[in-house]
Amino acid sequence: MSCLLFTLLLLPLVGSGLLFFWKNNSSKYIALAFAFAEMFIAFYMLGNFDFHPTVDAPLQYEIAYPWSSYIKSSFNFGIDGMSMLMVILTNILVPLIILSSFNEKKAYPNSFYALILLMQFGLLGVFTSLDGLLFYIFWEVTLIPIWFIAGLWGQEDKRIKFTTKFFVYTFVGSLFMLIGLIYVYNQSASFALTDLYNATLNTNEQTVIFWFIFFAFAVKLPVFPFHTWQPDTYTYSPTQGSMLLSGIMLKMAVYGVLRYLLPITPLAIGGISGEIVIILSVIGIIYGALIAMISTDSKRLIAFSSLSHVGLIVAGIFASAVVTMRTGLTFEGGQGAMVQSFAHGINVVGLFYCADILYKRFKTRDIRKMGGLAKVAPKFAILFMIILLGATGVPLTNGFIGEFILLKSVFAYNYIMAVLAGLTLILCAAYMLRFYGKTMFGKGDEAVLATTKDISSVEFSVLASLAVFVIALGVYPQPIIEMVSNSLVFIYKSML
Amino acid sequence: MSVLIVLFLTAVLVLFSGVFEKGKYARYIGILGLIVGLYFSFLPDCEFFAQYKAMYEYGYNAALFTKISIVVTLFLFFLGGFAFSNHRSHQSELYSLMLFALCGGIVLFGYQNLVTLFIGIEILSIPLYVMAGANKTDLRSTEASMKYFLMGAFATGFLLFGVALVYGSVGSFDLYAIHDFAINNPKNLMLIMGSILMLSALAFKVSLAPFHMWSPDVYQGSPSLITAFMASVVKISGFFALFKLMTIGFNGIAGDWINILGVFIILTLLLANVMGLVQTNAKRMLAYSSVSHAGYIALIFFGLNNFSTYILGFYLFAYSLATVGVFISLIWVEKIKKETSFAAFNGLGKREPLLAVVSTISMLSMAGIPLTAGFIGKLGLQFWVRH
Repeated sequence: MSCLLFTLLLLPLVGSGLLFFWKNNSSKYIALAFAFAEMFIAFYMLGNFDFHPTVDAPLQYEIAYPWSSYIKSSFNFGIDGMSMLMVILTNILVPLIILSSFNEKKAYPNSFYALILLMQFGLLGVFTSLDGLLFYIFWEVTLIPIWFIAGLWGQEDKRIKFTTKFFVYTFVGSLFMLIGLIYVYNQSASFALTDLYNATLNTNEQTVIFWFIFFAFAVKLPVFPFHTWQPDTYTYSPTQGSMLLSGIMLKMAVYGVLRYLLPITPLAIGGISGEIVIILSVIGIIYGALIAMISTDSKRLIAFSSLSHVGLIVAGIFASAVVTMRTGLTFEGGQGAMVQSFAHGINVVGLFYCADILYKRFKTRDIRKMGGLAKVAPKFAILFMIILLGATGVPLTNGFIGEFILLKSVFAYNYIMAVLAGLTLILCAAYMLRFYGKTMFGKGDEAVLATTKDISSVEFSVLASLAVFVIALGVYPQPIIEMVSNSLVFIYKSML
Repeated sequence: MSVLIVLFLTAVLVLFSGVFEKGKYARYIGILGLIVGLYFSFLPDCEFFAQYKAMYEYGYNAALFTKISIVVTLFLFFLGGFAFSNHRSHQSELYSLMLFALCGGIVLFGYQNLVTLFIGIEILSIPLYVMAGANKTDLRSTEASMKYFLMGAFATGFLLFGVALVYGSVGSFDLYAIHDFAINNPKNLMLIMGSILMLSALAFKVSLAPFHMWSPDVYQGSPSLITAFMASVVKISGFFALFKLMTIGFNGIAGDWINILGVFIILTLLLANVMGLVQTNAKRMLAYSSVSHAGYIALIFFGLNNFSTYILGFYLFAYSLATVGVFISLIWVEKIKKETSFAAFNGLGKREPLLAVVSTISMLSMAGIPLTAGFIGKLGLQFWVRH
């Protein structure tokens, strides 16, 4: 069985290498074929996945080869419920992201698709690695392709400045994580995950390590004061770059917080640090939502809404962690975070695609200059509405379940925080509906509307498949919750 | 020592090959000689040379570093046909000078005696002074040569003064005699002064701040291939000489020089990186990057253990390969556009994709991004610094 995971990891790399030399217009079809093959493997693995394992911390499809005896690290990959969910998310989104670019004429298409597949390789590595150093390496591997995607295909006049900012910001963050991990390694004498968990560290050490490692995650998520790279990078990247960044790359940090930060530094989280993080993320929730309310740039609006949603995810994870340290095992926050990560990945990719479709029609990102599209593009109006409601967290859409569980876990920590965090639901509805109203109803540019047709079949198929996920997971989220519960229980238990 | 003899003879041959056909064969003879030298570097040294053990020993570490520097020089020779195609005359001299400098480096890898150290440094440096001024019609090149020579003379003075002080206190030039003396007399002020002077002199050679002032100008003025040689082979030699001197010779008084070295490193890392950020010329930026790498490599002195030599070798090898990779595209751009500002690199990816990919990977390796050799090197250093 282990060869399955091996194939899953290597296939994108092979595809990427092939595409770099495939200077041909057919490169997009090859990329799509690789992505679909990858999706097929992922679903096959899901089919054989044991949802109710009998042992603690069940790892399935495990691969382990020694790598370096000098640095005690090994090629150790495996999948548990959390990883499985993220692997599925990656493999659902990457084909859709590739498909979403089919109508565009990109310069150097082969390199573009090669970089997307390379990115997929890095992301899958992050989600399946069971070794601290390997995790760090894949974490950085994802940075290189997205840097090139944003730098080469981004908006002409701004791309260099903002991609440099993005790269330096995230790279500095990751280096802090590396230092933190090396410190833990010096205590545990191995990078293997279980050894890192068992490292003996006192509270002061844990606090320092917590902030070092958390800095990397906080930049990537982003959490409130470290978010300044995000709106610019999301806005000036090509649409596919924004989708990769917000849809999947952000989830790396959520995954990292759960997988590494909670079990390694529980004492720090139980102390003041956990509370500071919760306060920061609640600030982020409100701050992001307020800025989104007044944003006129469609992509910037989505970027700030993402900041707001991520704030809730982080607040939920840490609220449960703090409660676990104080009163006893609760893992709802983690559950909610995983469900919401999956939902947010799907919704935000849909929203960015809608923003892209609007941009193609109106040739502007300013939502004040759009309008009236619902009349000429009814199919688009419906699909956009479904995805938008999913992002808002209306019941029976995928966003609702996650936000509900997250708010519940924050409530268990502190009801004032929960009330503040709950503002996200109201504010989100306000800015999202404003976004929808301004663009789809009202008076638009008549000249544009006269020549505009409804969405093409490619656009329809991408949006429709996302909309199917939005509704299906909203009606029946049980499989996801079941999938992650087991590994989350293990993670929150190992804090104690 | 057989490697040394092979390379020395090659250098002489290359020098005289300039008589025929305007030095057309110089490069090929040089490459052949380097390959033979590389072969010899894998063999254990002849029994006969064992009697010179007190001066020069071709031990395990010396062999390792010799191999590394021969490989890097080979790359530079391969690149030479392209880099020197502008000036057709005097090619054979440049190649032979490079080989002579390499000989100096190899002397430094195996020295057992301060006299050999001094001779090695001079054999390494004097060809470099000439090579820096190889573009005779270019004023900058002449300036580089002059500057390098004056600064180098300064450093040599420091070195000799240090050697004199050490000899005055120990009564021997032998590295191991100094080692024993330093352990038995850790409070000998003359020895400490001598060690600090020698440290400063070698810091000149590897361009550690505050002795780095020469490097941006010299790197920018010299012909690019020579700059690559300085940033790779010369750095390897200088560093191993420094490493050997400090960890063997002055091990006993480490407490006295380690803090000074620490100040050097902090200054280097701060100054070089900040200055590197604001440069607009690629060659000058690379000069500052090379200075900052020197500072990073010098971290090896904090946390010494059995692995240190290998980490040093690995890091220097990775760094040298990356340097060669970056300089390939730099030389190409310099040749087409006649300048090396960042703007000159515009459109490299479109015109020469392979070249752009090579230099991108090299730069990522210099920056220490995972999946490149530079990352493993930096990680190794990090590990032992933290211990």
